[in-house]
Amino acid sequence: MFQGVRQAQWLTKTKLVEGLPPPVLSIIDNPAHRLEDHEEGVKRAVSHARLWDTTEVAPRREHYCPVLFEDLIHLCRLMSVKYPSLTKRMLARNYKISATWERESILLQVRGLNGILMNSMAPIPPVASKEEILATEEHVLETFYPISPTIDLQEVNVYKELNDTGKSSFRDGYPYSHPHTLFFLESANIRPNRFRPEQLRAKMMMFAFGNALAKAKVLYGNDPKVLEQPIVVQSVGTDGQLFQFMVFQLNTTDLVSSDGIKNLVWIDSDQNLYERAQCIPEVKKRVVTKPAGIYGFQPDTFKKFLALYLHGTV
Amino acid sequence: MAASRGRRLLWHGRCWFSQTESGVPPQPPDSLYPPIVASATAKSKAAKRRRLEHFNQRVHAAASIEEKLRLYGQLQRPKYMLYPQTFALNADRWYRSFTKTVFVPGLPPRAAAVAAKAPGAVAPEAAETPAGAAGMAPEAAKAPEPGTAAPEAAKSPELAAAATPYLDMGELRSLACDALLQESFYQNKKRPFLYRDQDHTPGPFLTQLVSTLAAFLCGRNPLLAASSLDLKPEVNYYWHHGEEVVVHGHRKGRVDPVRFQIDDNPHLQIRVPKQLPEIVPLESDLGDVPVIDHKPSKLPLFKKQYENKVYIGSKVADPCCYGHTQFHLIPDKLKRERFVKANLEDQIEVVYRANGIASLFAWTAAQAMYQGFWNEADVTRPFVSQAVVTDGKYFAFFCYQLNTLALTVETIQNNPRKNICWGTDSKPLYDVVEDGSVKGFNDEVLLQLVRFLLNRPKEL
Repeated sequence: MFQGVRQAQWLTKTKLVEGLPPPVLSIIDNPAHRLEDHEEGVKRAVSHARLWDTTEVAPRREHYCPVLFEDLIHLCRLMSVKYPSLTKRMLARNYKISATWERESILLQVRGLNGILMNSMAPIPPVASKEEILATEEHVLETFYPISPTIDLQEVNVYKELNDTGKSSFRDGYPYSHPHTLFFLESANIRPNRFRPEQLRAKMMMFAFGNALAKAKVLYGNDPKVLEQPIVVQSVGTDGQLFQFMVFQLNTTDLVSSDGIKNLVWIDSDQNLYERAQCIPEVKKRVVTKPAGIYGFQPDTFKKFLALYLHGTV
Repeated sequence: MAASRGRRLLWHGRCWFSQTESGVPPQPPDSLYPPIVASATAKSKAAKRRRLEHFNQRVHAAASIEEKLRLYGQLQRPKYMLYPQTFALNADRWYRSFTKTVFVPGLPPRAAAVAAKAPGAVAPEAAETPAGAAGMAPEAAKAPEPGTAAPEAAKSPELAAAATPYLDMGELRSLACDALLQESFYQNKKRPFLYRDQDHTPGPFLTQLVSTLAAFLCGRNPLLAASSLDLKPEVNYYWHHGEEVVVHGHRKGRVDPVRFQIDDNPHLQIRVPKQLPEIVPLESDLGDVPVIDHKPSKLPLFKKQYENKVYIGSKVADPCCYGHTQFHLIPDKLKRERFVKANLEDQIEVVYRANGIASLFAWTAAQAMYQGFWNEADVTRPFVSQAVVTDGKYFAFFCYQLNTLALTVETIQNNPRKNICWGTDSKPLYDVVEDGSVKGFNDEVLLQLVRFLLNRPKEL
């Protein structure tokens, strides 16, 4: 999408807040969770994904990005020792979503295979207070006249408005019915095939919105209205090194007009987990200048990842 | 080195002096000439022996494990490719002879340290298999009825005396059923691609099941908390066993070792930083290794020449260098229905056994090589790993103990040790999934899987 997050904001009637929301930050800052113990494990996971996991000299991005994701999720799942309700989560891979809405007389639809979805039995409680939600009423959505807001979107004749996660992805009676977090892995080897960070954030927002909207329609029906219980869906995007964290709160399904209560999104962008992964030692003039290993490791990024994972159960 | 060899050759040449030299051989005077040794490049048996000696010394003296592995697999020649998942008839007998493995039906009588801490007297360690089964049966009987009866009331009075926490079978069963239902029923997926049924439902189900069970049980087993879970890793091993004469080509007529290579892709594997404990002592003899008089190519096995890889799933630098459990998925080509249609019902179990033996041999032997052992430097402690082979519904459990790596012609002559593989037949986990519920769920299979995951060294 051309304008990235700004365009996505207009299309989904959302207000952007920089940084992660206070409940998630409180999980990170809470010393009871002992997030520091995992530093060793995370370093091992990064080294495993970037250095050790292949018979060749250096693994390619298509290989190391999913491996890193699996290792980090494995580390997060091990926390279910301390928090037994974490076992009430289920990962769904190759998951299809479709959601439709109308925005100032333009019909929009989000569809596709969108990565990996983690479902939980219990919904995430709303992240913003009532006052903040009411305050979004005054916020004016940014438009970028003269560029039309639907630039770069594919125009398709839709004959059937398929609308929900319930019908098209999961059957009724599915116990893990609340979408919790979406994971996007940009693992293409060649740079042009990968999304740039800005576009990745926009994609994350569109799909998080699509999931939240579909869930809202299942819970509250198809009429556009302001939701009593806002729906929160989180999203994490990575290309193996850079992480984008997002928390999306759907406050209203009344999307036709541009006034009134808006939805809220918190974005923490471009968090590096490590600076460089040196697969073979760098040798200048027969002297090893840089031995093999991971350089510039940032433990805070994993803390945010884990906090998003734990959000809703602690 | 050369001086001592020279001294040895001089002594052989002068063996009629043996009476006087039988005590301490006196130091010969420092010779003006270099020691007389066999040529290194001649086309003679002594020269070949000397080259082999030299190669062995180079590998022994290698500076690091990577260097040792590089030298071990340096020479590339045509070798037989062994496929753990094979349609060949009676492949498990052939694989046992190639890897010097004894197959023992049934699982080893473990120190059942797992949930069978029944209250009171049942001594949990070193139970015989019947007693071990009896120890398990009360535990399974104490497990709550499928979701109906009040679980806490039934469990707590009987197990109140137990010192260790019991295993909640209801919880485990619900985890397994949830994973199964999600993959087969609840998630709407497209139709499976042609001949790719295994990737559609059983594959994701196995991944979900193992990852959720491992996370659930890691409080019980601290080894799992430090483990590394690999999805679709690669496991390779290269070895020599037996001898043959080269049939055609410019090397025709020479006597060569028979080379084998296993390139395996398990569906899932768990690697841990500490080794699993040995099941039986290193020198145990639990049966016979089958001897097959035919050439390996009669199995059928085919030769190819390519890189000689030894790999456990990650490189030597990884701290999780020991194996815990592997999970294998039987591909569509080897489905039960196809064997039944071809009137080969007895070969169904052969598929599971061959897969278990070959994959586990490759994994444990590669782990041993990562620790510096090879066929000239045999293992000093047994390497143990486990595997579960499944096609999504039927599960077969295998346990392997590697006692020896010395399988080449020179080293196998005085080697009484044999590798041992324990294994079960395949049993179904459930009967059928319909209408959002799992019918005929088999707790025994799940309990065995949980026992496998909870296996750990004694000190933990």
